[in-house]
Amino acid sequence: MSKENEEKFNVTVRSNTKDLFAFTKLVPNRKKRIERASSEPLREDPINDLAWKLHPERQFLIIDEIKEETKSTKTFKVVPDPDSVTKELAYFRPGQYISLKVGLEGVRITRPYSIASSPKDALKGFYELTIRKEENGYLTHFIWDNWKKGTKVESSGPEGFFYHEKLRDLTQIVGIAGGSGITPFRSIAKAIINGTIDAKLTLLYGSSEEDDIIFYDEFKEMEKNNPSKIKVVHVLSCDVVTLEGCEKGFITKEIIEKYCDVNLSTFFICGPQVMYNFVEEELKKFNLPVKRIRREAFGEVKDILTHPDFPKEVAEKIFKIKVHIGDLTKEIPAIATESVLVALERANLNPPSKCRSGECGFCRSLLIDGKVYINPVSDWRKGADKKFNYFHPCASYPITDLEINIPRDI
Amino acid sequence: MSKSKEQRIEDSYDVVVIGAGNGGLSSTAFLAQKGVKVLCLEQHNLPGGVATSFVRGRFEFETSLHELASYGPQSNKGSVRTMFEDKLNLDVEFVQVPEAFRLILTKPGEEMDVSMPFGVENFIDTVENEVPGSKESVEKFFKVAKEIRDAFSYIGKSKGKPDQGVLFKEYSNFLKTAAYSVTEVENALGIPEKAQTIINAYWAYLGLPMSRMNFTLFASMVLVYAEKGGWVPTDRSHGFTSAFDAKIREFGGRIEYNTRVDKILVEGGKVVGVETTSGDEIKTNYVISNASPTLTYNKLIYPQSEVPEIAYKDVNARIHGLTGFVVYIGLDATAEELGLHDYGYFIMDTMNTEEAYESWAKLQAPKGLACVVLNNAVPDCSPPGTCMLDITTLYQPEAWKDVKPEEYVDLKNKLAEELIIKFEKATGASLRGHIEEIEIATPATFARYAKLYKGIFYGYEPESWDSIVPRLSMMGKDVYIEGLEFAGGFNRRAHGYSSALSDGLISAQLTLGKLLQEGGKHE
Repeated sequence: MSKENEEKFNVTVRSNTKDLFAFTKLVPNRKKRIERASSEPLREDPINDLAWKLHPERQFLIIDEIKEETKSTKTFKVVPDPDSVTKELAYFRPGQYISLKVGLEGVRITRPYSIASSPKDALKGFYELTIRKEENGYLTHFIWDNWKKGTKVESSGPEGFFYHEKLRDLTQIVGIAGGSGITPFRSIAKAIINGTIDAKLTLLYGSSEEDDIIFYDEFKEMEKNNPSKIKVVHVLSCDVVTLEGCEKGFITKEIIEKYCDVNLSTFFICGPQVMYNFVEEELKKFNLPVKRIRREAFGEVKDILTHPDFPKEVAEKIFKIKVHIGDLTKEIPAIATESVLVALERANLNPPSKCRSGECGFCRSLLIDGKVYINPVSDWRKGADKKFNYFHPCASYPITDLEINIPRDI
Repeated sequence: MSKSKEQRIEDSYDVVVIGAGNGGLSSTAFLAQKGVKVLCLEQHNLPGGVATSFVRGRFEFETSLHELASYGPQSNKGSVRTMFEDKLNLDVEFVQVPEAFRLILTKPGEEMDVSMPFGVENFIDTVENEVPGSKESVEKFFKVAKEIRDAFSYIGKSKGKPDQGVLFKEYSNFLKTAAYSVTEVENALGIPEKAQTIINAYWAYLGLPMSRMNFTLFASMVLVYAEKGGWVPTDRSHGFTSAFDAKIREFGGRIEYNTRVDKILVEGGKVVGVETTSGDEIKTNYVISNASPTLTYNKLIYPQSEVPEIAYKDVNARIHGLTGFVVYIGLDATAEELGLHDYGYFIMDTMNTEEAYESWAKLQAPKGLACVVLNNAVPDCSPPGTCMLDITTLYQPEAWKDVKPEEYVDLKNKLAEELIIKFEKATGASLRGHIEEIEIATPATFARYAKLYKGIFYGYEPESWDSIVPRLSMMGKDVYIEGLEFAGGFNRRAHGYSSALSDGLISAQLTLGKLLQEGGKHE
């Protein structure tokens, strides 16, 4: 409607004069109010303080105790480093991880580890991290050789979404764990026992040898003292089984339905990739809704060559990546079968990273030129990131020479 | 932390923009397009501030946008669409949301459930249908609103120096309502209470009671939604903020993520540079801060002795707005199956906005919700067989000040559950058995990701004395440090996406003007 067509109508709030006068006083009033205000700086911000306590960017830790769990597994009890700014440990949700940042052989790498202790232990001032030494594990060999009581370790705040959410999940949790994938379930079990989580846990725990079972006695004890809340079933794939009450073989459909009411349970899976592959197939047979199966991100894909759509012809290749980071531009080598993140770490560029699974997005970087292979299982990119060529280096593999722009670690 | 020296940024820039929120992005893009050497520093690893998205399972959730104002259809472009398409040529896709809103009032005895259409005539007719006899007064509301819109447009064209004679002659209703609250003017127009309730449903987008909210700002907002509709990006706010990022690079500008400014260096009342926690030392004479004046003066200016007393007084005089609480839900049923046929729901226990505002001061289930079912505007925003729902409410930050970390999860779950129950009751939809993903953002979440002062995502409250009319009238007089401008929701146009985006352009234009004055550096 154009203005000409509209009949002019006059609004009067108090009176014509008063309304116009009020308008003329707007600016003088504003000036007056500013002039009269306090000139005290504002220093308090309890909301950011809370955010920082829940989600510190870094935690500076020191190893307080080391316990041998199995021949290849140790539990590291860590506390705040008294010489650091970390005075208390962040509270967390049972099942979450922290990402350790470790310097070795002149480079700094990150590794996510589930917190194995309970949130209440964090209030008492410690986390426990249970780590299995891996045959070809670059970092774990270093840890075994170097970590002692008193060793300082840097970590992220608690991260990840592998936790029981009562608004979504059923109160019967069925944990399916393999190997060191048991660690988040120890935290979950403790939290169930001490009342932090209102749920029951049935744990189906797969191990390849009897003496590989982590926390055997501890879970037996928890089960004995809390029979209505905790149930543990060991599933052993070795030929000879001497322990009582174990299942032999793998975690199959039959074993799963033997120990739980499938339709009244929420499944939580944590373990090595091979176990995911197997268990996912078994669970598919139940045709469960997506929401009933929660998966922990399993870290970097171990053998990208086994993924059928990875371009095999580049497997042996070493590509060049031109990296822009801050004011530095550097050309680095990158092996096709290793993630871009690993190449960046090897070149000591200290890139940001946390989950190493494509999930958290902390390493999000811009692909200026070239092509990467992204495993669909680890592709957690946002729609617009795909459109505008942002990618997650931890879940991407170079299949041509690349030019990328990465953020610096904060 | 070990910071690599060779990665440090040590160059000098014509302009440094602090923060890649809506205002920071539009400032940076404008300056980059004009060939200015501009660097935008963002502490998070994403653009957008609260205008972003996040992924959980099969869902990519919108963080904060309900509907963008001032976008409009191709045939009736609003200022934001003009900026995106004609000025910057951003690679974005927006769609119009299907209806203005559905208002559900649950107070016993005053129940109401009305779906409002876009279009001024339709809007007026629907109010008349609900409240017979209201038509004439609501028509007047829109007449005044149009005059206000035209007055703002005239003031804009006059570059802040309007001819008083023209204002008095052409825009007297604008002048006469500029100092009053929504309630005062709506009463003066004789709008029946129930009709006020319907018109005022949009109040949550600005978040202060109608008795304090300035009329001119509110009426402009209602009008722009009614005339141009509400619009959303097809790929969440991360879609258009990423398009900004791409365009800024194309123009030769620079954005550095994960880079936190901790000092704006000031010497003799003039900006001389910025320093970051990454050890960057950047020389510049112009900073556009997309951080609030509150944060900028209290935390960033260095040395602190360079902050003039008047700057502290300025931020202390103003009333800080609200923070919020959002429940994001990915459901394994379609909106159709759940019986959710509308895009935007305002669900109020009461339309007494003072009462609702007061309810936001306590840690209880708040009395007002604004909810969005995105699939009803962007059908394929989630996988087939699913839909997404956001339930938003507001809080005064003080309500959250004593929360302890160990109580936090239980508290947010309890509040979220109460909101879900309220939503279910009001709409009749049953959500509980269909929740596949759920995430809850609290004031601490907004503080964590966007580093907002007290998590406040609305800017200073636009009461009449501090609404956009006096703010715009004092433009230039509130520059307390030479070379420092602000941009965003805390600045001259008040909060909201479109205000922040437009404000960024103004700040960039002002800064460009000063650069040009300084002499010949740029064409």
